[in-house]
Amino acid sequence: MSGKKENASVKVGWVGYVVFLLAILLFSGLFSSSSGWLKALDFNVLNGSFGQITATGQGLTFRGDGGTGARDGFLFAISLIPAVILALGIVNVVDGLGGLRAAQKLMTPILKPLLGVPGICMLSNIANMQSTDAAAGMIKELVDAGEITDDERSVIIAYQTSASAFITNYFSSGAAVFSFMVAPIIVPILVMLVFKIIGANIMRFYLKMVYRKSVAGGAQNGK
Amino acid sequence: MANNEVVQEKKKNILDLFVEGARSGFTIGTTSLLPNVIMAFVIIRVLEVTGLLKIIGIVCAPVMALWGLPGEAATVLVTAIMSMGGGIGVAVSLYSNGILDAVQVTMLVPAIYLMGNPVQNVGRCLGISGVNTKHYAMIIGICVINALLSIWVMRLLLLFI
Repeated sequence: MSGKKENASVKVGWVGYVVFLLAILLFSGLFSSSSGWLKALDFNVLNGSFGQITATGQGLTFRGDGGTGARDGFLFAISLIPAVILALGIVNVVDGLGGLRAAQKLMTPILKPLLGVPGICMLSNIANMQSTDAAAGMIKELVDAGEITDDERSVIIAYQTSASAFITNYFSSGAAVFSFMVAPIIVPILVMLVFKIIGANIMRFYLKMVYRKSVAGGAQNGK
Repeated sequence: MANNEVVQEKKKNILDLFVEGARSGFTIGTTSLLPNVIMAFVIIRVLEVTGLLKIIGIVCAPVMALWGLPGEAATVLVTAIMSMGGGIGVAVSLYSNGILDAVQVTMLVPAIYLMGNPVQNVGRCLGISGVNTKHYAMIIGICVINALLSIWVMRLLLLFI
């Protein structure tokens, strides 16, 4: 009885029905032998195939050659994981031995004039190398405590949002391309850092234009 | 200036530190990288089977040519809007399909992160910090500008590396 009631009260949108229908089609194998774009509606087509490992082949990796879909992606991802394990192991050693705190000390005097925000924000900007949320939370606290203005927050967030947590992200997902990247691993990091600073300054410039307009309008500006 | 020395916790030796980091590397690799790469391979597979990848390649070719990239590279940037890991995954997938070469993937790497997956970051970075909502569009715009400019810079740098 209660089952019936529950059933009656469940609301299903049309998307639900369409998705369910597609799921049935996907798993039914109905389109396995069809040609053209309908093939994409077959589970086994998406699952793809493992690469062929030929004894005489030149590239004798366990991934093989010519694989497709989820299967090929799985084997390829497995082959990428050692780089992530190694990279994060090293980063953790550097962090544990105080390397990142040293980076903080070194970067504070460099970043401060480049971003034009008070030094007190630097701890957050350094934290932003590793964590999006923690850094953004610190900035909110600074504004709430009246340490920085709303405009300064916008500049800092422009810096933080682009390539947020870039050390963590780059050394985890980015490690996937380390093996075939043609530049030294540190180059993309430096490029990201430079563009974060450029982004913050675009925001500064933008705010200056807006600020000028509001002065012309006679509006009072805080601080 | 906030310069307070963090109280030293119990000292761990280098080997422990490495194993600890390696363990989180394994977790990230299996729970984040692997699902992302599989997702990207399936997306590319769908685009390939349906012929959309070719169409994207042709349609986006004139624009992507500005950066010296094939039209298909647009899928990397579009995916990066939703997820950095996904963007890398798509780049890896296109590389393994032979559509992008190693140089082109390298050019795209900073752009993937500079794009800063706005879909997630509106909630995370912008939402948490409580930044003025009037500036949301500008901040996201800056991410896109950064990403696009960085491809050129990488291309230039790669000439000297």
